[in-house]
Amino acid sequence: MSTRLARILTTIFVLAVVLLPIYWLVSTSLKSNREITQEGTLYPHVPTLDNYVRLFTEKQFGSYLTNSVVVTFFSVAIALVFGAMGAYAIARFRLPFAAERKIGLFLLTLRIIPPVVILIPVYLLMLSLGLLDSWLGLIATYTAFNITFCVWMMESFFREIPVDLEEAAMVDGDSRFGAFRRITLPLAAPGLAATAIFAVLVTFNEFLFALALTATPRAMTMPRGTATLIGRIDTDWASMAAAGVIGALPIVFFALLVQRHLVRGLTMGAVK
Amino acid sequence: MQNGMQARKYRLQGAGLDLALPYLMLAPGLTVVLGVLVYPLWDGLRASTRAYRYGSPVADVGFHNYVQLWSDAQFLNSLWVTVKFVALSVSIEAVLGFALALFCLREFRGIRLLRTVLIIPMVITPVVVAILFRLIYASDAGMLTALSVAMGGGGVQILGNPLNAFIGLVVLDVWEWTPLMFLILLAGLQSLPHEPFEAARVDGAGSWRVFADLTFPMMRPVLAIAIVLRTIDAFGTFDQVFVLTRGGPGEATRLISIYGYDTAFKFQQTGYAAALFVTIGLVVLALAFSAIRLLRRIDAS
Repeated sequence: MSTRLARILTTIFVLAVVLLPIYWLVSTSLKSNREITQEGTLYPHVPTLDNYVRLFTEKQFGSYLTNSVVVTFFSVAIALVFGAMGAYAIARFRLPFAAERKIGLFLLTLRIIPPVVILIPVYLLMLSLGLLDSWLGLIATYTAFNITFCVWMMESFFREIPVDLEEAAMVDGDSRFGAFRRITLPLAAPGLAATAIFAVLVTFNEFLFALALTATPRAMTMPRGTATLIGRIDTDWASMAAAGVIGALPIVFFALLVQRHLVRGLTMGAVK
Repeated sequence: MQNGMQARKYRLQGAGLDLALPYLMLAPGLTVVLGVLVYPLWDGLRASTRAYRYGSPVADVGFHNYVQLWSDAQFLNSLWVTVKFVALSVSIEAVLGFALALFCLREFRGIRLLRTVLIIPMVITPVVVAILFRLIYASDAGMLTALSVAMGGGGVQILGNPLNAFIGLVVLDVWEWTPLMFLILLAGLQSLPHEPFEAARVDGAGSWRVFADLTFPMMRPVLAIAIVLRTIDAFGTFDQVFVLTRGGPGEATRLISIYGYDTAFKFQQTGYAAALFVTIGLVVLALAFSAIRLLRRIDAS
């Protein structure tokens, strides 16, 4: 009986610690600045949606959202196609000098290096190509990061699929690439989905490169736009809170929808 | 029949286009990676040996930038702050995550809700996590102040005080990443074999003995993996600090990534910043590889 009580209390405590900050964000976003700073209420006494309306009418949050969706979609889609092909080659072929293993290890090493290390040269590269503050510059950067992740993740999924099925297809007259496309790829679909989901999460949330590579609402992504807004409005807590809700809502909703597939990516494959 | 066998063998070994297939499949991805990651990496190494003025290289200075780092008080301070931040956050996360995982090992009502809710902190945009905590810490509009006032106290100062701001940053990181530790460790606990635990129960071992003699030793490799993953990740922490404190007050929360960013983009010392980032990269790689060797040793013993 006492362990049951301890269990209930711990559960409630953990839920409170996680959810209270989120409650406070949402609650603040529904108050006016006057209520926030002068009355210090614990819940919105006069709820208002003005803060949200202002974000879209005055602060270009529509553009940020569009930019984020476009950049995330293309960089994940391209990385998934290129990454799956590369991962298949590494998982299935034996190349001279064990090149496929060396390439795999090399991509993993690239993944371990913190991205901040190449921030300056990527900035200089995009500057010289005239791709600063553009969708293309961000898409190219995120695609490259996503490829290292996709190859590494998809490789383990492909290894779990028996070779016999492809061989059978090839005996029946399929080409090697045909067997990959018609047999292996559909079988790896759950893995492909898990990979895509995690890539979407990381790309949508990325801030550092968006900070260095974009400067106007033309290309600024959601996290970048949110951070800029906060830099400008140090005491406009209501707008800040609303921006936080809008910034987090799409990705949290998405994550809860697909949570089953999320765990493997989040834990870098430490958990299967 | 003979002919058929021959054809089959021929096909499986690959012929014509099939021979080039692995290269064709690797080419698109590798091209992008070489262009956008590897070339910049090389370019960064080159930049780190140069002196810049107004964003253009003016002189080759060899290893001068690297040497200068170690007599730069601001760099050394940011390194120290980073090490403190990583060590403190990751160890608290490991302890809390482990405790929570042990707690959730038995199925009970509410556990699914708990797991779902625990996903939220780690998927929220890091920039927004920082907003969450600014709204908690703010001396005028913050949750802590509102609670303190509601209980009859006064305003609470967090981000204006060096020590409190640093602790506030650690609390943010613990809130955001303990769930990850929890997930990894829970999966580890669930994959442990049952027999030793049943034997221990038959022998009448107490729960502390079971933990110290069975659970903990068996969990060591998973725990090590979880700690290494978090440590590598925590070393690169940037977004949260940028929005929460921008490194302040003073240099109290100025992590190495923030210092590097400012050196490059605020002070325009491109070459020096490049050397700083190459150094961080080498430190993290060294950490990762020594961790892999350590794990192999644990596996072998």
